[in-house]
Amino acid sequence: MYPATRRAFLRGAALGGAALIGGPALVTGGVRPARAAGATLAVYNGQHRPPVEALIAAFSAATGIDVSVRHGSSAQLASQLIEEGDHSPADLFWSEESPSLFALAEKGLLAPLQADTLAAVPAEYSAKDGTWIGATARCRVVVYNKAAIDPKTLPASVLDFASEAYADKVAFAPASGAFQQQIMAVMILKGRDTALSWLKGLKRYGRVYNSDSAAVEAVEGGDIPIALSNNYYWHALAREIGADDVQSAIYNIGHGDPGTLITVSGAGVLKTASNAEAAQRFVAYMVSAEGQAAIVGAIAEYPLRPGVVSPFPLTPFETLDPAPVTPNQLGDAEAALALLREAELA
Amino acid sequence: MSESFGDLAHVIATPRPRRGRRRRSLPPFLVLAALVPTVLIALPIVYVLIRSADAGWSGIADELFRQRTLMLFWNTSVLTFSVTILALLIGVAGAWCTERSDLPGRALWRILFCLPLAMPAFVASFAWKSIGPAFQGLPGAILILSMESFPLVFLPVAAALRSMDPGPEEVSRSLGQGPRATFLKVIVPRALPAAGGGALLVTAHMLSEFGALSLLRVQTLTTAIFQQYELQFDNASAAVLSAMLMLFCLPVAFGEIYLRGSQRRDKVGRSAVRGRRLAQLGVWTLPTLAFFALIAVISLGVPFGRLGYWLLRGVSAGRGLEAIGPALWGSLSLAIPGTFVTTLVALPLVLVALRGGGRIARLAERLPYVVHGLPGLVVALALVYASIRLLPAVYQTRAVLFAAYAILFMPLAQSALRASAELVSPEMEDVARTLGRGAFAAFVSVTLPALAPGFGAGLALVALELMRELTATLILAPTGVATLATEVWSLTSDGAYAAAAPFAAALVLISGIPVYVFTLRTLDPRGRRVRKSPQRS
Repeated sequence: MYPATRRAFLRGAALGGAALIGGPALVTGGVRPARAAGATLAVYNGQHRPPVEALIAAFSAATGIDVSVRHGSSAQLASQLIEEGDHSPADLFWSEESPSLFALAEKGLLAPLQADTLAAVPAEYSAKDGTWIGATARCRVVVYNKAAIDPKTLPASVLDFASEAYADKVAFAPASGAFQQQIMAVMILKGRDTALSWLKGLKRYGRVYNSDSAAVEAVEGGDIPIALSNNYYWHALAREIGADDVQSAIYNIGHGDPGTLITVSGAGVLKTASNAEAAQRFVAYMVSAEGQAAIVGAIAEYPLRPGVVSPFPLTPFETLDPAPVTPNQLGDAEAALALLREAELA
Repeated sequence: MSESFGDLAHVIATPRPRRGRRRRSLPPFLVLAALVPTVLIALPIVYVLIRSADAGWSGIADELFRQRTLMLFWNTSVLTFSVTILALLIGVAGAWCTERSDLPGRALWRILFCLPLAMPAFVASFAWKSIGPAFQGLPGAILILSMESFPLVFLPVAAALRSMDPGPEEVSRSLGQGPRATFLKVIVPRALPAAGGGALLVTAHMLSEFGALSLLRVQTLTTAIFQQYELQFDNASAAVLSAMLMLFCLPVAFGEIYLRGSQRRDKVGRSAVRGRRLAQLGVWTLPTLAFFALIAVISLGVPFGRLGYWLLRGVSAGRGLEAIGPALWGSLSLAIPGTFVTTLVALPLVLVALRGGGRIARLAERLPYVVHGLPGLVVALALVYASIRLLPAVYQTRAVLFAAYAILFMPLAQSALRASAELVSPEMEDVARTLGRGAFAAFVSVTLPALAPGFGAGLALVALELMRELTATLILAPTGVATLATEVWSLTSDGAYAAAAPFAAALVLISGIPVYVFTLRTLDPRGRRVRKSPQRS
């Protein structure tokens, strides 16, 4: 009743389908979890890719250790690691933000780092219990559009942006991890009530963006004159557009105001790591002179190891005069979430 | 009639099951096989319920009655409704003008109206966002998303109009009805299932859209779910929002079956599609051309222009270009087998429901449509949760990712399969069995071959969706596997637009293949007509 060719077609399609399903499986070693790959170091990465790729290339060249990377956002990877628990195939977690590392340490998922690794950077930027280490520092800044704003008129505190005078002028990203750390800093320095009314003011007068980089791009494009952001988003944009064409600039508030806040990216080794030794070597390499140079060559962040110099035109670290708050004080930033929810921003 | 689009979105007039389709005992292997998709679909639902329960009743109530939840609910409703209506209007107008009027350049317009399918919404939104803030926010999102999603209505309606039996129209005209009355009373009712099916696809897309909306700064239930998971590791309120989103999908799930039910239109014999007179646009020719040109510029010109601009500009251009081969391979090696897996998993569900599996079977067959509007993130987290607890050996293998693809896109395959399967009479299997074949052998040698050529368009649509899939792929793919979509995502999130452009261009180009198959299969239903003939004999 049905032409024989149809059956032939089906057979062909089935074979083709099987080949397509089976082919890649053979190439990647079949249905086995990533950990079975053996000597390959498995990194979960929430940091921006350019510095990670630069460091991995340098590390593999120096040690001969292969590295496989799973990219994602820090918070998402942290929740994935918590969900994975003992079954995690990951050896090492490189986070864009310290709160994600802090949360993993709280859950008891991170192993202690080696003492000489921890000694490579100032102790205040790493976990008190030595389970994670800060690799680079980033700075919360104000980015403004040069045509729309005279920087001399910018306020002395980031708290002033939550007022009618700045209605429809300030871009911010409540979902950004760094913004949550900024909320924590306001809360630590000025109290919970001030932090809450600051957020309510921003909700009322500011404009919500999906991410810091989107906020910076909006300022560059002239959509809005001011953004609260991390410094490196502006540097990345300036590099992409070209320093001569860039329409926006960075403003540092300084004098201990939470508008200038140091946050750190860093890494920790999983307790369940099947390549624990390689993972410890990787972290040590991260904070070595070579490793730090590779990282800060690819992203406009401050090296935490003394003596390493960034090729980007960064505001000198010593002149920042940031808010006196350490990553350990910021913790896992859960309190910031409660405030965001209370202000109806999340 | 227009079985052609039945291929794709399930909605087309298919001859009703004959009287003979009474309840019959189902082969056990089919029932067992239908358990696989049912269990898969249950996973995200159970996960959302477990996580919602973590919040407790008071937590759930607090979340539901927050001012913010109301805002999200409002935005989601307005966006989904408006985009669906606009896409419907543009799609139907485009289809009528290209199939039934003397509009100059109809062949070209047909192509231009299909091409937006190849452009992922997040790429288009990025292009628009970079033009200025005027296109951000809810009105901008409605405009842009309507422009990128109307082909989902255009194609099936064009196919329906093309293959429609001209008889009733001729009768209507000969009875003295004017062209307008004929259009409203004869053509519209018969094109309605096709248009409705397309519109439901658009609705489901809007409910689960994330990338485009976050770029355009519109907050919906789906973007809020992403934000919640971004803010907190173990998130009950995201689960509550997901449960709300599933409620939104209920009308989609049952609207689909309603449209299908409304297609019981008997017809006498299969009339040939013979030539018909085209409507004269007259003075409306120029305004129509101008309007369509505007749509083409908005839906194609701006996104492609912006992509080209970034291809040529920016210092990050050329960065990571060596990764384009592996990413292309990654996309294909996930999307093609994923399409087959999704289809295979969906098949028993469709057959059981169709062959009188009873109320439970029919409910099980509807569940995938309820889950279809969930963001990939929720499905991925459910699979992480389940695979780590139940089957740690398969975690982070392709198997889990394919399961996620099946859960997310099963309805597209179901609809295609259903439209084909309704045309295969179960009696033919009976004949094979009386000739000595076992139940399974009869199924493989009779029913399966009869289904195969019918669902080309449905498969193409699944493949198209899989190539763009981002969040489930990011979370579940084996470590180190990248696709074009994940590369575009990670490069643009670093602001390296010029570096992302080649990947985005490759994604658009490779999406062109399923779009081509989809278009051809939908507009040119010849494959079907051949297949139908044995049934009439």
